[in-house]
Amino acid sequence: MEETAKQQYTDSERARIFEDEFMPHINSMYNFAYRLTLDEDDAKDLLQDTYLKAYRFIDSFQQGTNAKAWLFRILKNSFINDYRKRSKEPSKVDYQEVENYYNSEDVDRQITPDLRVETLQDMIGDEISNALNSLDVDFRTVIILCDLEGFKYDEMAKILDIPIGTVRSRLHRARNLLKEKLSEYAKKMGYKNA
Amino acid sequence: MSHPEQSQQMSVAKGNCLEMLRLILDGEATEEEKKNFIDKHLETCMPCYRTYHLEMAIRDLLKSKCGNHEAPAELIENIKRMIGTVR
Repeated sequence: MEETAKQQYTDSERARIFEDEFMPHINSMYNFAYRLTLDEDDAKDLLQDTYLKAYRFIDSFQQGTNAKAWLFRILKNSFINDYRKRSKEPSKVDYQEVENYYNSEDVDRQITPDLRVETLQDMIGDEISNALNSLDVDFRTVIILCDLEGFKYDEMAKILDIPIGTVRSRLHRARNLLKEKLSEYAKKMGYKNA
Repeated sequence: MSHPEQSQQMSVAKGNCLEMLRLILDGEATEEEKKNFIDKHLETCMPCYRTYHLEMAIRDLLKSKCGNHEAPAELIENIKRMIGTVR
């Protein structure tokens, strides 16, 4: 990324990198765009903008490094700069408060000890999708990056421009919020102990 | 990838087990740590057993319901065409 020296690719190298290293991630990237914007048209625009930017800045991409993380970072930045401000997303939560809270004694408190595996297995509709979408975008993002895309702490830290410690605490908080939400749905479905 | 704090042999004794559980869920534990935890520790620690299986069930749901938005073919064609003209 920005710390690597610029390359000077030939046109055919550019075309090959784009096709072989960038395009294979297009479905993951679209999924990420959709989960960020929660709108199919916005997701399409965001994806297109991101791939055009990736091509324009292809000389900053070093072959042999993680193309997927590089692309996800561009997409995330495009989302923040171009889309987030026009969406009606509520303002960011106060992370300092979250960080303090999760560095406190309460860190491993079980928020929803009674949510059951069996209950989750009965959630065959849109519950999980709605639960995920209901989270603040920053929490939603770490769940997607870690659980769906398999990014590691250091990769997420680079994609999101935050320290690894923040990645960890944000993930932990996100998992608990997701469980709380699922627990609410379970209650609505009529599970007494959920 | 290794973090110094992780590469130390982490016992899955009490106090550390929830931390180990987090590392496993986050995909940051080594294969050995993971195997040890799942094969041995879970049998004797009910809170970890429940949380682990709950989190795995949530992950399965996420993967089956939230990871399948494929980019429309038309959009892919569009992108390729635009790159072709920029080039």
